[in-house]
Amino acid sequence: MTPTAFVATALLMGAFVLAGGGYGSLYSVGRLQGRPRLIRMGAVCLVVALGFAAAIVVATPLAVGWKILIGVSAAGYAAIPPLVWRYLEQLHSGGRAMR
Amino acid sequence: MYRSQRLSLRYYTAAITLFGVMILFGLLSALYYVFPSMLFEVLNFSTSKILHIDTLVIWLLMAFLGAVYWYLPQELEHEVVGIRLAEATFWVFCAVVAVVAVVFLVVQIGDSTAFTLWFINQGRKYVEAPRWASIGVVVVMGVFAYNVVATCVKARRMTGVTWVLVLDLIPLLAVYMDAFPADENMSRDLYWWWWLVHMWVESTWEVLIGCIMAMVLMDVMGTSRRIVETWLYIEVMLVLGAGILGLGHHYFWIGTPEYWLSIGGFFSALEPLPLLGMVVHAVYDAGEHRLRTVNRPAFFWITTEAFLNFIGAGVWGFMMTLPQINLFSHGTQWTVSHGHFAFYGAYVCGVIAVFYVAKQKTSGVACLDDRFWKWGYGLLNIGMVGMVMGLLLAGITQAFYGRAIGGSTLMAFTQVSENPWFLSGIWARLLFGIVFAAGYVALVYDLLRKPRSNAVGAGEIAGAAT
Ligand code: HEM
Ligand code: HEM
Ligand SMILES: [Fe+2]
Repeated sequence: MTPTAFVATALLMGAFVLAGGGYGSLYSVGRLQGRPRLIRMGAVCLVVALGFAAAIVVATPLAVGWKILIGVSAAGYAAIPPLVWRYLEQLHSGGRAMR
Repeated sequence: MYRSQRLSLRYYTAAITLFGVMILFGLLSALYYVFPSMLFEVLNFSTSKILHIDTLVIWLLMAFLGAVYWYLPQELEHEVVGIRLAEATFWVFCAVVAVVAVVFLVVQIGDSTAFTLWFINQGRKYVEAPRWASIGVVVVMGVFAYNVVATCVKARRMTGVTWVLVLDLIPLLAVYMDAFPADENMSRDLYWWWWLVHMWVESTWEVLIGCIMAMVLMDVMGTSRRIVETWLYIEVMLVLGAGILGLGHHYFWIGTPEYWLSIGGFFSALEPLPLLGMVVHAVYDAGEHRLRTVNRPAFFWITTEAFLNFIGAGVWGFMMTLPQINLFSHGTQWTVSHGHFAFYGAYVCGVIAVFYVAKQKTSGVACLDDRFWKWGYGLLNIGMVGMVMGLLLAGITQAFYGRAIGGSTLMAFTQVSENPWFLSGIWARLLFGIVFAAGYVALVYDLLRKPRSNAVGAGEIAGAAT
């Protein structure tokens, strides 16, 4: 790994997770306040996160195994916010019925 | 108010005091970076840093104990069993900490003998306290565990949160035993020491703060128990699933077998995912109750905890958790940046929320929100983010010039210490550290002052309080 590739890889990794977090936050705040614009901005973050993941896969000198891991966790960042949200909603409506 | 809640106020007071001591030694440690020959042979950097990070562990532990002593009787509707003993061990705890601090300051170091190990310094980062003191901590924690278990038995009642808490106490105490063995083989010694440090902050403490947060959420947001508990179970499984074997990210370069490169990289790379789930959960809870809360500062700190836990531990950790990256970033200011951000995000923010819960209950106001808390909130957060950004810059510079280009030689290390990027990062850490310290002063002032009784908003709040 060249020195530049090393710094670039580390920063891409950080940016990837940060953008994934941006998606999760904007998506959930958007859902909460019923603001489709925020959800769309969240989607943009997700695309950016996937872009960073793709860049890591294509352009960094990481070994293949790690690249697969990055791909899989990219799917995780995409799936978790809506999944968790739906799950919490289900839990909550169940809770209300019980009360 | 239960008697154990009065004990918990004492624990909070001790914790906040040590938080201040910690900041003082943090600032002092930061000064050495800009004036390297400061206090030479009077008080060395290493001693100052030990006082900084050992008080960190102790004050957080005290705050956790306080939080459990606060919520346990409330959860089980029963006074804590063995409360007298607990009150006595509180003073034991304080005395032990004070004596150790004085020994660190005055004696500082000893010869490499058993005497040093027992009475001066064990030399294990974060838990340097000598053995006699560690035994004292074990006694305190033992009494604490007895309090929790005996209260559950006596109350003949268990809630989901209490179950998780009790089960978590077992590994939490068990790994502390790792503070004792001293192995002459460095690799073996570090191998076990990491069980303590990593398993605390990335597993058992994470579960403990999860329980505490669950209780705070029910308290200040009125979130239903069913939601909070179901979510807690899932969170605990995910956190432990990735966190336990994530241990391997500390086993890259200490002489442990090569398979740890894959195990550590793989599992720790998954660690941010459950933290993302917690962010979504925090937003959901905030909104479900339309931001109505009886305690705004606690609410803000708790929400901030979710976000900064994700960023400080998740993002900052992920950047350097694969072995190819860690090879260069290992042990630089980059690590220090992550260490500060993660501890602050995951734990400091959480326990500040708990302090505010106590403030509201003791002052008896229906609704806590009189603006001044925002000073502490703002200054602490700005101070911390500024510090970790400065440290990130310094760390990247070290890893890039000193390691990747310079080949990790002593010469390269020395040269990079004069690199302007590095120096600006180090200065930024110091200056933002002062901002952080100002935030601490504002926080303490706000916690101590009498709140205005807040008639406005009390009606709006009533819904959330049920
Ligand atoms: C005024 C604020 C603070 C300043 C100026 C400060 C400064 C420092 C310095 C100079 C070190 C030594 C780094 C080294 O070995 O090169 C350090 C270590 C550390 N500090 Fe702080 N600190 C502050 C607040 C905090 C807070 C609030 C926390 C926890 C939330 C914290 C946690 C730590 C940890 C975990 C380490 C060990 C990091 C490592 O060695 O990787 N500090 N700090
Ligand atoms: C609340 C959670 C966490 C806390 C409080 C925390 C704290 C720390 C601290 C204080 C250190 C420095 C240890 C030392 O050398 O003295 C450290 C190291 C490290 N952490 Fe974390 N951490 C957390 C979560 C994470 C996560 C989720 C990851 C990965 C995604 C991670 C990755 C790392 C790595 C790779 C190192 C080693 C750095 C090196 O080689 O110098 N941490 N952590
Ligand atoms: Fe770790």
